Amino acid sequence: MKTMSAVTTPKVRRKRVATGVTLSRRAGMVFVLPALVLFAVFIAYPLLTALSYSFFSWTGIVRGEFSLFDNYVTLFTKLPYSQDLPNAFVHNILLFVGAMVFQNTIGLGLATLLHRLQRFKRFFQTMYTLPYLVSPLVIGYLWSLMLSPLFGPVNAILRAVGLDALAQPWLGNPQTAIWVVVFVTAWQWIGFPVLLYGAALGGIPEEIDEAASLDGASPWQRFRSITLPMLVPAIGTVSVLTFIGAMEAFPIPYALGGSQGNPAGATDVLSLLFYRTAFESGSSNAIGTSSAIATLLFLFIFGVSVLITALLRRAERNLF
Amino acid sequence: MRRRILTTAALLAGGALALSACAPSADPGSTSDAGDDVTLTVWSWRTEDVDAYNRIFDVFEKDHPGITVEFEAFQNTEYNQILTTGLAGSDGPDVPMVRAYGQLQPNIEAGQLEPIDGKVDGLDGIAESVIAGAKGKADGKTYAVPLATQTLQMFYNKKIFADQGLSAPTTWDEFIAVNEKLLSAGITPMALGAKDDWILPIFADIIGSARYGGSEFEQKVLSGETDFTDADYVASLQLITDLQKYLTPDVVGVGYTDSQIQFTSGQAAQFPGGSFEIATFRNQAPDLELGSYQVPLPAGAVLDAPVTPAYADGNFAINAKSKNKDAALELLNWLATPEFGQLVADELNQFSAIPGVTYADEVMQEAWNNYQKGQAPYLLLVDFRYGEPLGTAVLGAEVQKMFLGDVDAAGAAAALQTGVSQWFTPGQ
Repeated sequence: MKTMSAVTTPKVRRKRVATGVTLSRRAGMVFVLPALVLFAVFIAYPLLTALSYSFFSWTGIVRGEFSLFDNYVTLFTKLPYSQDLPNAFVHNILLFVGAMVFQNTIGLGLATLLHRLQRFKRFFQTMYTLPYLVSPLVIGYLWSLMLSPLFGPVNAILRAVGLDALAQPWLGNPQTAIWVVVFVTAWQWIGFPVLLYGAALGGIPEEIDEAASLDGASPWQRFRSITLPMLVPAIGTVSVLTFIGAMEAFPIPYALGGSQGNPAGATDVLSLLFYRTAFESGSSNAIGTSSAIATLLFLFIFGVSVLITALLRRAERNLF
Repeated sequence: MRRRILTTAALLAGGALALSACAPSADPGSTSDAGDDVTLTVWSWRTEDVDAYNRIFDVFEKDHPGITVEFEAFQNTEYNQILTTGLAGSDGPDVPMVRAYGQLQPNIEAGQLEPIDGKVDGLDGIAESVIAGAKGKADGKTYAVPLATQTLQMFYNKKIFADQGLSAPTTWDEFIAVNEKLLSAGITPMALGAKDDWILPIFADIIGSARYGGSEFEQKVLSGETDFTDADYVASLQLITDLQKYLTPDVVGVGYTDSQIQFTSGQAAQFPGGSFEIATFRNQAPDLELGSYQVPLPAGAVLDAPVTPAYADGNFAINAKSKNKDAALELLNWLATPEFGQLVADELNQFSAIPGVTYADEVMQEAWNNYQKGQAPYLLLVDFRYGEPLGTAVLGAEVQKMFLGDVDAAGAAAALQTGVSQWFTPGQ
């Protein structure tokens, strides 16, 4: 109750008056209600039902008996899950690491260059962000066409310039296929860190940079000791969102390798495993097993996201 | 005053939202009308066949006064979810089109479909491997009337064959000679989209069904007399490696649609595939002179004649909650007649599951005649898609590994056996 009354303390109320609109708590609740209802119906309810589904055994859509962790044990002990789960998980991690490397080197580099650019800044920003606006499924299919060993222009160009050894069946070779997924994902998303970093760079006061340069700091020193630390909040945001995106990756791996993660499971990711289990398997316990996968995936994403955020908060506090 | 307006506005907005959530879904019309007139709703995933089905059901309505059939089709990829929801609730169809074999089991196990044993005439004439697609695995009861049969065979480009002085091979040596001739002429002998794993078990059965023994092997595997590590089955997979040189060099990088283009554009002379390809080929390349043949017997084959592997594709069942079961049964009885079978052939361009149907399309008739001469089940789909992992998925990935040189035929067979034994117990 004490915290509740804090909301209505005169201090806070005075602050609100400044916005020009006065709202009673009840009116406020009424405004929040639609969003709350939507959240409850479309997010909270499915989440909780998936959680509850995972503790039961199923025959088709008929719920069987309560089986506690049986579905989870199945995931780690029975084929194909015991094999597919770690395989897919490693690929998700690769996607995350690959995306981070791309975004924090090339993405940050591009953002820094664009920040210094006087003309065409908007043009390039738009260009880099463009793939981000196209459906990832379309991007995936376009790249799979470009990389086709029969008709694809990529190998044709490589051969034309004498790089025959590089003209490979990129998506047919398990060693290269996952890197194609990493690359295409990073390629599509690159505009996102460029925008975020660009905004963050714009927020750094020029005076600090100017003062440092008057003190004789080299451009690299200034980047290292001023720009980078001030970008930490943005890097944090990008990291968490990239992590979530990489763990939930579905359309691009699906377009490039199909629901089985072809070839031979080389492009399999957790969402594909979930999709296969839930919608393509003949298993009558599909709902139980797939709910267990979904729950694990959610807990992992949630846990690690909270962890990354906490770590970055601490890093920020140490900085300022 | 201002506050009251805001509150009212918010309440109105919320109210509108709540109202729209309560809007009743469209009435499917499955309730009996006054008198004896009955409207049956039929659901399907064949959105491309709506007109054809309406013509087909017009024929039925003419001979069965008092019954009106309403045909509704939904997006194929969404259909399973839509149907499951529909059957669970009260506004489902009377007669749903349902999947076959393993994919049908969840509906049966949930008690959503009505058993039809002894209630539908005309099921006896249907091939056993096809009717198996309409049965419950656990109780052995029949729940549906099979709609179509898909046959698996080798398609070939007649013009390329004629140009090269070749004809459809009848012995394994001729088959190899054909491929060698094409290869030396700079034509890809066979188009295969090995990047898509699902086509690979089809390829394996087209090439190797007769080698491992088709239905005979099926019986032995189901009874537990042998398993997939059987020498004959391994030898049938070995044929895949033997034939790899007649495929595109980087075959695992080639997608299924790429392989279709390869064949229809004349870059490849042969295409191992299902009868469902015929319509696609006709659309993509109307001028393509298409032919088909059964792959001849390889050395050491268990069977003494070539076979066409086949499977059932789609069934019509009765919703256990339907209020019009008598009329639905009348419809199902009609769906099992040669009259409907012929309409499937003429209107839908599919192989009917009902015997005694003729096909106007000569390629279809040719493939059907071959199938009549020697039948086999598409083993991994017919019998090994009742649990996770699916037999087809395991072998698909293993054949990819074989093409990449990561595993040999024996290793692939062993992996298949390990995979299916996760849920398959022989003799049940």
